[in-house]
Parts: sequence; C-alpha cells; structure tokens
Amino acid sequence: MRPGRILWLAAVVGAAACVERATAPAVCPAYCPNGSLTVVDTLLSGAVSRDSAYRGYVPAHRAGVMLAAALPGIDSRAIFALAPLGVRVQLGTDTTTFPIVGVDSLRLFLSITRRDTAAHNLTLALYRLPHSLDSTTTFADLAGAFTDSLAKTVNIDSLLARSNGKDTVTGDSVAVDTTKRVAVVMKLDSSQVPYTSADSGRLALGIRVGADSLASIALVVDTIRWFVKVDSIHGSDTTLVHKLYARGITFRSFVIDPPPAPFGSMLAVGGVPSARSILRLSVPRAILDSSQIIRGTLILVPAVPASGAPADSFKIEAHTVLADFGAKSPLVFDATRTDTALIRIGATDTLSIEITNLLQFWASDTLAPHTVMLRSQAEGANLAEIRFFSSATPLSAPRLRLTYAPRFPFGLR
Amino acid sequence: MMQGDSGRGGAAVGALAVLFLTTGLPNRLTAQDSQYGVQGLGTPGRWESVRARSTGGAFAPFDLTSPLMEASLADAGRLVAGAMEGASYRRSELAGTATSLRETRFPLMGLAGRVFGHFAVSGGFTTYLDRSWDVTIRDTVVLRGTPQPYTDEIASDGGVADLRLAAATRLRPWLAVGAGVHLLSGSTRVSATRRFDDSTSYQRLQQSDEVSYDGFGLSGSLLLDLTRALRLAAWARSDDRLRARVGSVVTAETDLPNMIGGGVRLAPSPSARLAAAVAWRSWSDAGPGSFNTLSWSAGMEVGSGLGPFRLGVRGGQLPFGPGATAPTEFGIAAGTGRAFAEGRGIIDIGLEHLRRSGGGLKERVWTFLLGLTIRP
Repeated sequence: MRPGRILWLAAVVGAAACVERATAPAVCPAYCPNGSLTVVDTLLSGAVSRDSAYRGYVPAHRAGVMLAAALPGIDSRAIFALAPLGVRVQLGTDTTTFPIVGVDSLRLFLSITRRDTAAHNLTLALYRLPHSLDSTTTFADLAGAFTDSLAKTVNIDSLLARSNGKDTVTGDSVAVDTTKRVAVVMKLDSSQVPYTSADSGRLALGIRVGADSLASIALVVDTIRWFVKVDSIHGSDTTLVHKLYARGITFRSFVIDPPPAPFGSMLAVGGVPSARSILRLSVPRAILDSSQIIRGTLILVPAVPASGAPADSFKIEAHTVLADFGAKSPLVFDATRTDTALIRIGATDTLSIEITNLLQFWASDTLAPHTVMLRSQAEGANLAEIRFFSSATPLSAPRLRLTYAPRFPFGLR
Repeated sequence: MMQGDSGRGGAAVGALAVLFLTTGLPNRLTAQDSQYGVQGLGTPGRWESVRARSTGGAFAPFDLTSPLMEASLADAGRLVAGAMEGASYRRSELAGTATSLRETRFPLMGLAGRVFGHFAVSGGFTTYLDRSWDVTIRDTVVLRGTPQPYTDEIASDGGVADLRLAAATRLRPWLAVGAGVHLLSGSTRVSATRRFDDSTSYQRLQQSDEVSYDGFGLSGSLLLDLTRALRLAAWARSDDRLRARVGSVVTAETDLPNMIGGGVRLAPSPSARLAAAVAWRSWSDAGPGSFNTLSWSAGMEVGSGLGPFRLGVRGGQLPFGPGATAPTEFGIAAGTGRAFAEGRGIIDIGLEHLRRSGGGLKERVWTFLLGLTIRP
C-alpha cells in the first residue's frame, strides 16, 4: 500500500480505538436502576447460648514473663530457681576438676520488660527461697521465706538517677535500652547468697516489687554469674583461683494472692492462670446464607470492673474454632478471622467486640462451628482479667448486633 | 454501491481485516449507551451498518448489510460479510452535573449470500438492547443511631443481542420479499457495591450476579420498485417477551414491541441517491416508564467508486425516560467509504452527532463509526 493510504488507515484505526469510561453519577429515582442495596441493622438478644468460662490455658510457670505486683487487692511475687553451680569446677582445658572452697560474689542479670512509668521509688527486693519450688508452689507456701529471707533490695529509680546507672559502692547497675526494657544487674556477696556445697550451690530466689504506688512489673531473669574461689594447689602453689561461672534458670513462675475466684455463672477472660470464655452463636440462616454481613458486634456486659494493674489495659481476641470441643476447642489463629477489643482496667462499660471477620468466615464456610472463643491477646503476660454476665443472666446476657444487606434484586426489568 | 479501485489483491483485504480486529478486542458486542436506558430495558440498538448510519439511517431499509430489513438481501450478488465498530464520546448533563463518558462497541456482524438461485440468506447478530451502564449514588443512612454516608456503585455490563436468520427472494423484477426469525439472547453482569465513608466500622458491601435474557421475534419486509429510480420499502416485526433469568429462575418478563416501518429511495442518477425512512415501535408495551416511539430519517449518498459522500439527519423519540413524555433525539451524520482489492474489501467510516433531551437530562454524543465489508 502507498504511504498515504497507510496514514489514512492509521488515522481511522486511531479514531476507532477502544475507549471505556462508563461511570456516571445518578440522580434518583429518575435515573437510578430499578432495585437498590438495602441495609438492615438488628439486635439478636438470644443469639448467644451455651456460654461458659474455663481457666488454666497459660499457668504462671508457662507464662513468658514473671509478674510482680503490689497493688491494692493483688500481691504477686516472682520466683525462680537457678541451675546448681556444682562442687568442683574445671579450671583449664583438661578434664581435671578442682573443689570450690567458697564464693566471692555473684551477679544476677534480670530485665524488667514492662513497668508502669508512673510508679515512683520502684524497688526490687530479692529473697532466698526454699529449693523445692515447682508449679504447685503457692503464695502461702512462700509466705515465710518472703518475710525473713531478704537478701537485698535495689531501688531502680535511684539507680537510674545515678551516672551511667551504676552504684559503685554496691555494684548494682541499671540500663534502659531502646525498647524501654530495663536491664538490672544486682551484685550479691556471699553473705547475701551463701554458697552451700551440700546443695551444690543450688539457688532459689524470689522478687517482690514495691513503689510509692502502681507497683507492677513484668520481668525475666537472664542469668547468674558466680565468682568462686577454687582450691588449685599444685605442689607448693597454694594460691586460690578466682573464676567466673554462669548458670541459667531451671524454673520460673510467680505466686499470686489472692488466687483467682471461681467464675460462678460469669464469663471471664484473662488473669493467671489465664481464663477463656466460649460462646456459641445462633445466626439465622437467612442472614448468614443469603445476606452479606457488613458489621457484626458481640455485646458483653461486665459483671465487675476489669481487674489488674492500672497500666495493664489489655486486648481481648475473639477467635473462631476449628472444631467445637468445648474448653479444648482448637483456635483458628488467622488474623483475617480474629477480632479484638481493648479493655481498660476498672472499666465497667458495656464491651463491644467487632466480630465481622468471624461472621463472614462462617458465611463462606458452612461447616464451620459458630463458636467464639474469647481470650486475652497476651495470655499469662499480665494479671488483668475481666468478667462478663453470661446467658444465665438474661437481662445482661451477651447479645449480637448485625448489620447486613439482603441480596440485591438482580434481574429486575 | 462503490466500485473497486485498482487491483491490490486479497492481501489488502486481509490487512484491513487484521487492522479492524486488532483496533481493540471486542469486550462488548453492544451499541451506544444512554442514561435513559438505566431505568428501562436498556438502549435499543440501531440495526444499521456504517453506510446506513452515515445517512442518518435513511438507507437502512435498502442496505443489505443493515439487519433492519430482509428483503434487501435479495440484491446480494455474492457472499458478503460485514462488521462495524463505534467509538462514542458522550457528555451527559443531569441536575447541573456534567459527566463525560466514552465507550467502544461492536454492534453488528453478519454474513449474507445467495443460495438456490434466487434465494439469499443471511445470518448474524446486532444489538437489540444495550444494558451497559455504571452509576454512582451518594447518600446517607442511619445505622446504630449514627448517620453513615456512603457511595453506591451499581453497574450493568452486557446487553441483549438479536441473532437473526433471514431469507429473501425477488418474486418479480420489481418486488422483493424477505422474512426473518430473531433469537434474542444475552446477559449482563450486574454488580452492586456500597462503600461507607466509615470503612473501619462497616465493610464494603459487594454483590454481583449474572442475568441472562432470552426472547423471540419474527419479521417480514418487502421492496417495491415503482420505477428504475424509485424504490419503496416496508417492514414489520413482532417480538414476544424478554425473559430475565438469574440462574434458572425467571425474575422478570417484559413485553417487547411490535414495529412497523417504511422507506423511500430515489436514485435520479447512478451517482446520487436520496432516501428517507420512518419507523414506529410500540415500546409502551414494556410497562411503566416506556413510550411508543416514532423515528424518522433522511439522507443522501453522492458519488461512487473511490469516495462516496454520505449525509443524513434523524430524529424521533427514545423509548425510556422518567417523565410523562418520551425523551427526544436529533442527530446528524456524515461519512464516506473506500473500496480495496478490486472491490473485495470496503471500509466505511462515519461520524454521528446526537442530541438527546427530556426528563431533565441532556446528552450530547459524538460517535465515530468504522465498518468493514468483505466480498471474497
């Protein structure tokens, strides 16, 4: 073809090229389609049934942190046991061991992972405890030791006020890292924590926290370092060798007074050992199957104010379950099928938990049990607990509020 | 009709066909939209080729590539295949708000040829109703005691096609008759979306489904040559009901119109032709908000061979609108054509401008038309 014809064709093709822009604002009702989206909002009072609470999901000795608090109505103390030092140690690279004849000192390394920054004169009191600590140890079991076996007290605020956070006299120090974690080093001498060869240097310690007010912390013990004296007499050499040996934690927990009260007919979430509540929801099939739920809210009425340290506001998670086995129902840990609500300590306001994600999941999976498990987002990591009225209290029973859209009337003229 | 220019062979035809089809993939085989069709059945198709549409539709009754009448097929000398594309640029003014819209459509494709001596048959499709639109609605609803502003977007994408099988013959040298059966078939993908301003509390609401349509129609027509220069055309068509289905459930049944029309063509010389046409359609059968329509057109085609010039005007009513009377439409069109490959390929182009008004709405539409006819 001639160039002129090609240009002519190109112009034609260009003018006829595909274009698409069809969206225009409408003025109703004259220029609106027949049929429209409608939204219905309804409160289902009897939608929650067979609800109950269970405790013991995360006990204190399996919690990620130890909780120490001295609050009105709550006294919690951290307890932990350390690996034994032994009676003989190696000095060199060979396998020859030498007897430990004494201890110079030891340093306890611990970290405060959470604290109420409004608390002043925050002190840690370290106690020697019986070596028989285990998961069954109670607050009452250790009441005596926490009274008469004080090893040392450290004022964290005082240390923080010192240059570099160090007390050159006592050897204690603190440092705050970028995550607000407070690293504490407590130096103990042999009189505060004596080495007993009969126990192989086994140690069990406890920590109480104190402050002018709001004394509540979460802490972890990292390690302990012994500075020991070893008899290394070789021939005429009678020098005592001073060596450093580190030991880790073999057990950690915390004891609380008073212990958690029974639930009665209430639902409960949080606390230690942690409690969960299970609720079975009855959503009308006509809504779940034929409508699109755009908002679903579970409404719970607190039976008592949320308890815990004032700084321990916590999140409640609403999970659905893979199968309903009651207290042992396996949870679905999927962010898209989990809804949360924030609980403030002392609050008695009606709690609304948005469970839209769960309802939409049930709409898409008709075999999924319509069961909601409520749990604390950080189970065992704080003392906070909230209790709600259950369906056994009809006037304040859990309710479900649904906002949904019935099916659009497709196929109208 | 045009004559072929100097020979270039089938390669040129092939190149044109490729160009035509690659201009844009046909996402919709529908015609030109209108906001008037949102609340009604849709926007009726034109049933006109580019050549006929460039004359305002006046030549449609006499054009064998326009699926308006069957009797014109009797003039088919050999196999003819045709298709067209239209690219529309529409400005819609409603309640003080102007919106610019644009769409590309492929509203026509057909095949016609002579069989069994004097018989000619044709098969193809054209747009019966265009149901492609997309509207947004801004409003507020009170939910849980709080006003919640939202935006709805309701969209329909698709239409109803008219699948026509037609036959025609010339009973006398001055009389041609034809008849056709029409299967109406199509579907639309309808979606309804609501977005709340407070998207944190209220999730997006979205529903969609496919609505299918079916119907049936019969038509008949005749061409009468009073003289060598004067030809008359008359046609009638009756369609039964348009059934809308969602899944297997019939959700709506709407009566479709009966139609009659006619035209006259005067060809005082081989290079000059004048035509006029009129059509009446009983769209009020479709129910409330529908109106019977009377449409007219007049046009001319001068020249032949390398570049005929076409011009036409049209007017009439639109079948759907919100007021007490039917919206009106007036348009002018012009176009030309070019034959290639010894007349085996013809490319027609046209430009149409429409003005529609009624019920508070005004529409201005510019449509570029591109048609391809192949005679292998």
